[in-house]
Amino acid sequence: MATINTDLWYRIKDGDSTALAELYDGFAGAMFSLSLEILGDRWEAEEVIQDVFAYLWRKPDAFATGKGKFSSWLLVLTRNRSIDRYRSRKRRLDRGESDDTLQAREDTSQTDGAQQATLSDERSHLRTAFTILPTEQRQVLELSYFKGMNHIEISEALNLSLGTVKSRIRLGIEKLRLSLSTLRK
Amino acid sequence: METLKQQALDYTLGVLPKEESILFEALLEQDEDAHKSLVEAQEDCARLSLTAPPSRLGEEVRSRIIEQTHPPMDMDPFLGTIEMKRLRENFSAFENRYSGGGGAVDLSDISLTALKDEVSVSYENLLKIMPLVSGDSRAASGDFSKLQQELRSFGSFSDGIDKTLGFELNEEDPATRSVLRSALATLPSLSFFSDRIRQQDPSLGDTRRLFYLCRDQLKIMRASFRDLDPQRLIEDEKLRLHGAGLLQTKWWGSEHAFFSSTGKVRCGHFFEGPVTERCVEFAEYDANMYCLANLLASRSQDGEFHMELMKDAVPGCTLAVATAKMDDRKHASLESIIHGIRKPSADMIHDQYLWTLIEDSMIRGHQCDRLSDLREQQAYGCRRLNGYTYLWFAWPAIPNAQDGADA
Repeated sequence: MATINTDLWYRIKDGDSTALAELYDGFAGAMFSLSLEILGDRWEAEEVIQDVFAYLWRKPDAFATGKGKFSSWLLVLTRNRSIDRYRSRKRRLDRGESDDTLQAREDTSQTDGAQQATLSDERSHLRTAFTILPTEQRQVLELSYFKGMNHIEISEALNLSLGTVKSRIRLGIEKLRLSLSTLRK
Repeated sequence: METLKQQALDYTLGVLPKEESILFEALLEQDEDAHKSLVEAQEDCARLSLTAPPSRLGEEVRSRIIEQTHPPMDMDPFLGTIEMKRLRENFSAFENRYSGGGGAVDLSDISLTALKDEVSVSYENLLKIMPLVSGDSRAASGDFSKLQQELRSFGSFSDGIDKTLGFELNEEDPATRSVLRSALATLPSLSFFSDRIRQQDPSLGDTRRLFYLCRDQLKIMRASFRDLDPQRLIEDEKLRLHGAGLLQTKWWGSEHAFFSSTGKVRCGHFFEGPVTERCVEFAEYDANMYCLANLLASRSQDGEFHMELMKDAVPGCTLAVATAKMDDRKHASLESIIHGIRKPSADMIHDQYLWTLIEDSMIRGHQCDRLSDLREQQAYGCRRLNGYTYLWFAWPAIPNAQDGADA
């Protein structure tokens, strides 16, 4: 999987600002793509990326090398912060508050001019692997990972038992792992 | 092991119930398998993360992020001044916060019909622009054609400001003060960026800036004129605590303009947490910060100015400080406005209005009828120090509050 050197983290911990710049250049794109996919709002997604980088700079010890890969930790942190925002926006809308952004949503189905970045092989493989997952597994994974729904919410939304939801998530993840290794061969 | 894997995945996704999360965290300390499962779950989630369609970040995001690594400005000399000492000794918080009224008038209170129309037209145009600059708009994806088309369909906002200020204004009239706030706090900067997008090659950075300015301007206008858009005002009011994050997001590393004068904003001491309660109170605070920035934008010696928001510097209050390197002549011009030393020249009348708007707002925010008392306390003011000019205003802090909303 696309990764970043843990050495960067040690340098950031030591207050090396060039390391933060290197991390941004190498990985902010992946973090931003994830956040944008969850939030569907460029400005909010940029805010999340700023928050995550500021947090890392202020509190580098929030990560520890024993906690796994630095890159995975960063993506999970980005995902969770984006989901928090998504949920808070959803709560406001559920309470009947307006959201000018959502209410006046434009049709942005045209090609995104800023989305011209070339897919890395790794990400391209993963994207393919995800799209070839069985629909029912992909759907549950999307709701869980990109919409932040818990198992109960998904089971209610899709009229499935809790056990089915959990097993579809697990199976989907395992299949993604397997598909990736197959595609790499 | 399967249960452990499930727990680790749920924990990573943030859907493990709180009590189970605590137990799982305790398990992580001592159980190698639990730890292994967590690392594996993180890997799986990271793989899922990378399935998101790739999108490119705007160039200016990088500079904003890297700017965070720069050492913040040393505010100690300022915080050690006699003015700050006096503020610390005299500032007293109170229980009843400003909840609207003093600054809010009805649109119908504006006696000049043409002026009233100007306010309404400006508001309606901004409503049209808002969805075209929001984070899910085409412009936010790099396609500016529709936004430019819309902006070109009506005149520059700066024409509207000129028109507004060209009327015979009775400055003592509360309705006129609301008009001035609507015309001078946010609108000059908004006008600058909308003109730039209209006339030149637009950028994502300009679009983002225009989004925040539009959002703020609309809220300030609704808070200024109760009957302008009552339905949306009710919706604004539903958001209670307003966090400092709302301010930091838009000020950090941004370009600010007051008419044609621009400056790069730096921030280093923004605290985390709420600054105000109700939306009308936030509109006061927000407009004040714009007024400070406006006063500095045209005077900064090096094209930069600092905006800072500090909470612990003076107990019981949040302290908004704006400072810029300034030559003596420009500082003197600012002092003359602030202290009313002489009648301002025509080109400085805007600046005098800005200071008056801050003073009006201090009266409302502190719920104090006597401006002289606030001046005496140093609740707001201007100070020259080591070649820098500092402007500030103190605002009652929200006691014992959790982090503010950043909607």
